[in-house]
Amino acid sequence: MNTNSANTDCANVNTNNVIVTRGLKKTYHDNGIPVEAVRGIDFTLTKGEFTAIIGPSGSGKTTFLNLMAGLDSPTDGEVELSGKLISSMSGKELSNYRRDHIGFIFQAYNLFPVLTVEENIEYIMLLQGIHKKERHERVMKILQQVEMEDYAHRLPSKLSGGQQQRVAVARAMVSRPKLIIADEPTANLDSRTSGDLLDMMKKLNEETCMTFLFSTHDEIVMKRARKVVTIRDGLLYNTDKSREE
Amino acid sequence: MGLISKLAWRNIFRQKRRTILTILTMTGGFVLSSLAIGWMEGSYGGMILFFTNHRTGQIQVHKDGYLDDPSIYDIIDDYESIGDQIEAIEDVRAWVPRIYTGALIASRAQDAPSGIYANSAAASVIGIDPAMEQNATDFSEQITDGRMLTASAADTSLRATGQILLGKELAITLNVAAGDSLILFSQAADGSGADRRYIVTGIVSTGNTELDRTTCYLTLADAQLLFALEGKVHELAVMTTSLGDVEKVTAEISAMTDSLGLSTASWKVFAKEFYNGMQADEASLKIMLAIIIAVAALGVLNTILMMVLERRREFGVMKAIGTQPKSIVKMIVLEANVMGLVSIVLGSILSTIGLLILSKHGMILDPPLDYGGFTFREMVASVTPGCYWIPAVCIMITASIVSLIPAVKAAHTDAAKSMRKV
Repeated sequence: MNTNSANTDCANVNTNNVIVTRGLKKTYHDNGIPVEAVRGIDFTLTKGEFTAIIGPSGSGKTTFLNLMAGLDSPTDGEVELSGKLISSMSGKELSNYRRDHIGFIFQAYNLFPVLTVEENIEYIMLLQGIHKKERHERVMKILQQVEMEDYAHRLPSKLSGGQQQRVAVARAMVSRPKLIIADEPTANLDSRTSGDLLDMMKKLNEETCMTFLFSTHDEIVMKRARKVVTIRDGLLYNTDKSREE
Repeated sequence: MGLISKLAWRNIFRQKRRTILTILTMTGGFVLSSLAIGWMEGSYGGMILFFTNHRTGQIQVHKDGYLDDPSIYDIIDDYESIGDQIEAIEDVRAWVPRIYTGALIASRAQDAPSGIYANSAAASVIGIDPAMEQNATDFSEQITDGRMLTASAADTSLRATGQILLGKELAITLNVAAGDSLILFSQAADGSGADRRYIVTGIVSTGNTELDRTTCYLTLADAQLLFALEGKVHELAVMTTSLGDVEKVTAEISAMTDSLGLSTASWKVFAKEFYNGMQADEASLKIMLAIIIAVAALGVLNTILMMVLERRREFGVMKAIGTQPKSIVKMIVLEANVMGLVSIVLGSILSTIGLLILSKHGMILDPPLDYGGFTFREMVASVTPGCYWIPAVCIMITASIVSLIPAVKAAHTDAAKSMRKV
């Protein structure tokens, strides 16, 4: 797989920090016992990165992603997206922040079962108030990119797992967010489907320079990631280890 | 259709069995409420009509203060002219003049020597215009033995007819029947003694035992002659075309007669005890309605709470990708309201069928119901707008309030937590 040319393109804008965390901490209380899920992480993600966070179960991967996505609030430290601190945002601002700047891809796809593929992808743009014509054009374009244009009017229940995850990728990307967070996106897929999906996501990353951040256990994801960082016991390791295929 | 409306509409069809159950619960609440209201309005409407058409009329005009302290001297002069003006008011069906006073009645024992009056009783004497009564009330239908008084005030050649009608129980007390004679003793308005012999022409059974034990009826002309009240009456009883017109017509008559020193009152005032009794019954019916709605509300709350619990993850995703909590609230409340609307349509159809059956066939009361001194043997429902709009409003308000609690719960779903479990 040749990604060098794309990398070179994205490298032109690589100096822009998409998201920065400083001293990020999160402590839960489980039956009154404090659990330090994230114990002070400094992390920077620049535009166009295709990075995987790996680590064993309970290491703090999902908590760390939730903190960056504004789904959870840190006990200490801060998260800055394109120069703006999300810890200072109100509930409504956080909601708008996620809508406009973060794309989510979930392990269980999480498409709305009562909406068609087209409507699922359109959903965020509807929240953003984008005009119908533009919505339609963008949906059709992204469906072509994820090779699902023939399934626009199907309900998610009529699609395979791999197809649903492609739709989820399209939904995450269609609003052109600054960061796409994918929480174990291949966990429910077989290895071949996972490989195809990852190839497609990597291609989209190269074409659009959108920033992808994965949490994963999956070797297939790790192999395709340009940078892999390890989280263990709430701390981040190997942040300097970059991988070029 | 907006995004949230589209989601709400389609969500209704996700769990068809549960949706049907919720709709049926609300439909049941609607139908029971509607039938209860129709039954109440039909029964009470029937009771009021029975009560007012039998004797009292829906509106009465008296001399000021008469209702509080009735006196033979509180008379209405020129009553025919006032009555004609009342009749000219729209929605007035008829009016009747009446005289009210009291007398001692004595009857002769069948085997007693001539001149011995062994049976006597104090009685209320009501002077009525037979022709006008027949036109306005169903008084003549209450005569169970003998016949109605025959003379009217307009028939001047028969002013002193010497006819009397007796209440059934009064006739028993006096031991007389139609065709027997008796004597009335009283005092006239001019202070002179009033006594005269009358022939019993009929026996009246109003259904009100107390009334029938104490009341006798003379023609208006006879009463005016006996009590020296010529050209005068104590009361004008007015019948309206429908019960709904009573308050409006009362106000119009009031405006016309206030300056004459007369008071106008609707049946709610002059039959206060009857009205208060009905109000008390209505209050208990409202409690029953509230219980019906509360039971339906609990059913709806249960199913919506279950739905919210099942879709917790979905709400988490909605929030994660930027849906405002208020949109989630709107969606769930909308889902409940759409189900409420379907219930109202279904409930209206079923209620109409039920109400039409109950209004046509009614229910025979065995034993009969004694209410306000009257005996009711049958109750029927009536189909009124209230049978529809009251349950409809209750269902919509209930659906909104009941869904609001789970909706707010859904809107506060912790996105991170809800998505943690696969």
